[in-house]
Amino acid sequence: MKLNSIRQREQLTGWLLSLPALIIFILVFAYPIGRAFWLSLFTENLGTQLEPIFTGLENYARMFGDGRFWNSLGNTAIFTFFSLLLELLFGIIIALVLDQQFRARGIVRTIGILPWALPTAVMGLAWEWIFNDQYGVVNDILRGLGIIDSGITWLGDPTRAMFALILADVWKTTPFIAVILLAGLQAIPQDLYEARSIDGATPIQNFFTITLPLIAPQMIIALLFRFAQAFGIFELVTVMTGGGPAGSTETVSLYIYDTVMRYLDFGYGAALIVITFLILIIAVAIAGFILSKTDVNVTGEQ
Amino acid sequence: MMRLQETVKSFFRGISIRKKLKPLIVFLATVISIPLLIVAVQSQQPVTVKVLIQALEAAQLEPIVKDFEAENPDINLEIVEAPNDTNKVEDLYTSAFLLGESPYDLVYMDIVWTPKFAAAGWLKDLSDRVSQEELDQFLDGDVNGGMYDGGLYRMPFRSDAGMLYYRSDWLKDAGYEPPETFSELMKISQALQEEGYTDWGYVWQGKQYEGLSAMFVEILEGFDAFWVNPETLEVGLDQPNAIEAVKFLRSTIEENVSPPGVTTYSEEPTRRLFQNGETAFLRNWPYVYGLASESDIAGKFAIKPMPHAPKGSNGACQGGWGMGIAKNTDHPEEAWRVVKYFSQAKTQKKYALQTGYVPSRRELFNDSELVEKYSYLPELLNVIENAVLRPPIAQYSQASDILQRYLSAAIAGTMEPEKAMNAAARETRTLLKRSQS
Repeated sequence: MKLNSIRQREQLTGWLLSLPALIIFILVFAYPIGRAFWLSLFTENLGTQLEPIFTGLENYARMFGDGRFWNSLGNTAIFTFFSLLLELLFGIIIALVLDQQFRARGIVRTIGILPWALPTAVMGLAWEWIFNDQYGVVNDILRGLGIIDSGITWLGDPTRAMFALILADVWKTTPFIAVILLAGLQAIPQDLYEARSIDGATPIQNFFTITLPLIAPQMIIALLFRFAQAFGIFELVTVMTGGGPAGSTETVSLYIYDTVMRYLDFGYGAALIVITFLILIIAVAIAGFILSKTDVNVTGEQ
Repeated sequence: MMRLQETVKSFFRGISIRKKLKPLIVFLATVISIPLLIVAVQSQQPVTVKVLIQALEAAQLEPIVKDFEAENPDINLEIVEAPNDTNKVEDLYTSAFLLGESPYDLVYMDIVWTPKFAAAGWLKDLSDRVSQEELDQFLDGDVNGGMYDGGLYRMPFRSDAGMLYYRSDWLKDAGYEPPETFSELMKISQALQEEGYTDWGYVWQGKQYEGLSAMFVEILEGFDAFWVNPETLEVGLDQPNAIEAVKFLRSTIEENVSPPGVTTYSEEPTRRLFQNGETAFLRNWPYVYGLASESDIAGKFAIKPMPHAPKGSNGACQGGWGMGIAKNTDHPEEAWRVVKYFSQAKTQKKYALQTGYVPSRRELFNDSELVEKYSYLPELLNVIENAVLRPPIAQYSQASDILQRYLSAAIAGTMEPEKAMNAAARETRTLLKRSQS
């Protein structure tokens, strides 16, 4: 009985101590999300003189017939899929290189992380010029190699514009994945490799049987972070293509911006935000599920 | 001792006299000082009136601002420079107003923003300040573009309208009259192309952007069709006439009168084609006239209202800029003086002479000094009197984005015209219906 009351007192102290954090959590996360959901049940736009009128789930019904929403969702999915795939691939390669012992490794690691440290808007502008059809570096190189005769309009064609965006994003955020994977690599004990080498395994076998499984948790965490970022990509697209040509690179966040800021359609904008939020939550849940299934413990807890 | 007493006494007596006089003195002092104070305050601290204008035009407006401040020393007109992309300027005004206390007292706006800003309740109704006789001196399209729901929210400053440019030298040489109808336009184009005058017959703006909507409004008028009726909010995009209009645009490409690249052209690429002698006809805005007059084709071209189908009439899309007053400004009177100054004939004339922009007051189109410099102005008045508005509805930018997406698909051939226009009409109806509820 006595023991129980001590435990109860400890629990109370625990709750009290975490109360400030909980309050901040509610104010900063729960309230805005709840508010967005509440607003999404109203029609509040120029047609209603910006007064909210309760219309239930009508905003969500409207989404089904909204070709532009599906189009932007598709664009976002394509962008997210390809940029994550390439970033993971290059990220592993760079992490493996940076994990090796060589002279000036510290300097190379610092340089490697630089693209990620640059402001997106700045590097977006640079990439816009790199892909410029008249003065761009890409066309100049291709012309120099004799691959093309006249300049390619990179950002003026739907497929090529998407390709340019993905390339710019891969350039910027591969270092982020590389750094996280590097941390994973350094946590792998060397004796595992030694033992396998004595058994006569080749480095390639080592990579697939030791390295890859042991950095899987880091890969999932890195991909999760990147998924959330890539799904909400805004500045890069705004700067490089503005969503064009003909809406072929318009992402969900650009469409939400237009809906809220240009059309002043707040209710519908909130509904779009809620749906995007749900997609992200589902992705996080899946990633969390996979993480919990992996054998290797990432957090260090038992 | 006595003297001291006397002094003290007289001192107190003086006070008592002053006491009696006090109300009078205070009264006099107040009456005299009020105007003095006002003058002093005015000369020391002019009221600052702020407006956001894109950087390019802010520079062009500098002489006007100087003149205004010289004539109105009590007002300091401050132009805040904005990016040159007009969409960005609209966004900046929007976020300023959404945050409540707008830092801008005046709003310099494009004709298509007015309904939205007015519907959102960000602008002051100016109808009490202007008489009908005063408004009658402006072009109808410019005035109507500033009206929303019976109120006037924008005073016209400079005007704009779409028109047809044609190569008068080639037409005369080949023995053709300038086209009145779309079929004549096509026929003459093909004849000139066959006879080797030019590679292309007719170029227009087919890129997916606001210019596409502006151009299409003219074609719709030419086919006696409509986009959205601002009164009833009826949508006419899927009616046979409107579909015919889309088919006409597509036929210009299919019959090789317009280059395939026309679906990616905005104003400037089309102007260059015309100036380089690669096309006989061009749809564009007045600014081209001045530039083309300084190019190789100077004196070899002319303008006229857009052609039309037999059942329609010639339409010119109304554009233009004007000024409104922010709802929550602290200086409505000072702001109104700026608006009045900008809309008056003297200012518009000076600005037109300096920049070549088109004024919004009728009388100026026949002003001798202006006509001497811009000989096309009387002709332009004919064009601009036919100007049609893009639908003056609050949700215009949304409706325009819907139209642009489907129209662009239809003229590029990725969608059948009927299908595209049906989808555009359906989405527009949904938009207007939702907003109505």
